[in-house]
Amino acid sequence: MSVLEVKGLSHTYGGNTPFYSDAISNISFTVEQGEMIGIIGHTGSGKSTLVQHLNGILKPTQGEIFIDGKDIWERPKEIRKIRSKVGLVFQYPEYQLFEETVYADIAFGPKNMGLSGDELKNRVLDTCRLIGVKDEYLQKSPFDLSGGEKRRVAIAGVMAMRPQIIVFDEPTAGLDPKGRQDIVKIINDYRAATNATVIIISHSMEDMAMLADKLLVLSKGEVVMFDKTENVFAQGEKLRSIGLNVPIVTRVFDALREKGYDLPKDVFTVSRAVEALKQIKAGDRNA
Amino acid sequence: MLKDITFGQYFDSKSVIHKADPRIKIVLLVLIIVFIFLAKNFWGLGLAALFILITMLVSKIPVKMYFKNLKAILPILIFTSIINVFYGEGDVLFSIWRFDVTTGGLERAGFMALRIILLIIASSTLTYATTPNDLTDGIESLLSPLRFIGLKTAVHTLAMMMTIALRFIPTLVEEAEKIMNAQKARGADLESGNLKEKVKALIPILIPLLFSAVRRAAELADAMECRCYNSGEGKTRMKQLKLHFRDFSISFITLIFGTGVILCNIFM
Repeated sequence: MSVLEVKGLSHTYGGNTPFYSDAISNISFTVEQGEMIGIIGHTGSGKSTLVQHLNGILKPTQGEIFIDGKDIWERPKEIRKIRSKVGLVFQYPEYQLFEETVYADIAFGPKNMGLSGDELKNRVLDTCRLIGVKDEYLQKSPFDLSGGEKRRVAIAGVMAMRPQIIVFDEPTAGLDPKGRQDIVKIINDYRAATNATVIIISHSMEDMAMLADKLLVLSKGEVVMFDKTENVFAQGEKLRSIGLNVPIVTRVFDALREKGYDLPKDVFTVSRAVEALKQIKAGDRNA
Repeated sequence: MLKDITFGQYFDSKSVIHKADPRIKIVLLVLIIVFIFLAKNFWGLGLAALFILITMLVSKIPVKMYFKNLKAILPILIFTSIINVFYGEGDVLFSIWRFDVTTGGLERAGFMALRIILLIIASSTLTYATTPNDLTDGIESLLSPLRFIGLKTAVHTLAMMMTIALRFIPTLVEEAEKIMNAQKARGADLESGNLKEKVKALIPILIPLLFSAVRRAAELADAMECRCYNSGEGKTRMKQLKLHFRDFSISFITLIFGTGVILCNIFM
């Protein structure tokens, strides 16, 4: 059984007014336990609208969402239970911090789930250890931290709920290269520790090439492709036609191939590129 | 949803009233209100009603928009009418306990109700047909004589504050919605619970919202200073308010009806 199934999902904003617009229409896909899914698409393609359906923040105009085979809107009153199963980290999550201390802020989510006492304390401390929030920060005000640290704490606040599926809406937006690397590491660590399913929205094809098993490509609110990352990046033309692109290193290799160099087509990450070049070098030496 | 709250209720139906000078519109609204209160009998009030009906038609604003505003004051309208029904002289129609309902009372209640309805419609026309920015410009210009009593920059500063406040309402509403969703995603319960719990549940929304409002204000102040903003003297405007022929004709028509109302008071 798939952990997440989206069936014929559509959402219309501004339903009965003359200003209505279809944000997403007829989206269907399934995600298996433990997969890392990337969602890519041009600005306004409906990515954020789509992920806000996965934990019931938005209600579908049409279609259904199944978590572990159960329709999440079967009992609308219990939608809050879904939110501890599917964690959603919004864009710029540092703007949702509000407590007096970092500890209290991370404890907000698990407390809402009904945890208390030692269980709550252990949950918060475990989460901090897992993603590297330093102990000395716990009693500080979240508003005194640097931008990157704030984001780490905000992400910890969602991870402390131990969701089986965790969704990130552009987790690395507005960070410097070091900050981006840190966030990628946090996501990988959480996944390794909990075997959770991860869904990430990102504009960075490079991040996607490194992280995602599969890519869901959206354009104008519809699914254009849903396939393994390498199969999606093999279709550069199609991606460019909807305002996206392949990773830079792939573009370099494409250009070199056009000039007549015999290079492989499936190079999407820098490490794979290095490997491919080493192979060629070794081949030259042997010849 | 929060987005449905409209502040400033501009409705762009591109009529001559929309184009008119905001200063004239404000002054004329004040005049119309005065005439409505001056009317002593149904003839005068009827004339005012006819005039307001004409402005409604000219403004091309859908009638149901006016009803929306009237619905909001319905409780006041009913309350005033009921009170007035008992304060009249004339033939007693029937009595409730010790209170007599008279023909005079009914007449009076009807008169009061019509008066309130006219006041609401007249002021709705102004707010529907004038953008919030035009309104503040108009108020600023009308208050400018205050500079003679030593309030040189106060008027401009006040108008600028109003403009900025109006400008940022949609931004803050959007922000509030985002924060609400983010806290909901962390399991916050905003709907259930008693009053105390509900108020407490607002803290996770209000603190980040306040924080970002202050941050935005500081950023805006920096941006304004970088462009050498000062609220001092000699400031010119990009959009100058100018009187046109239509402004004079609108004023003329309003004054004719106003005179009519006063004549009704004397002769009818």
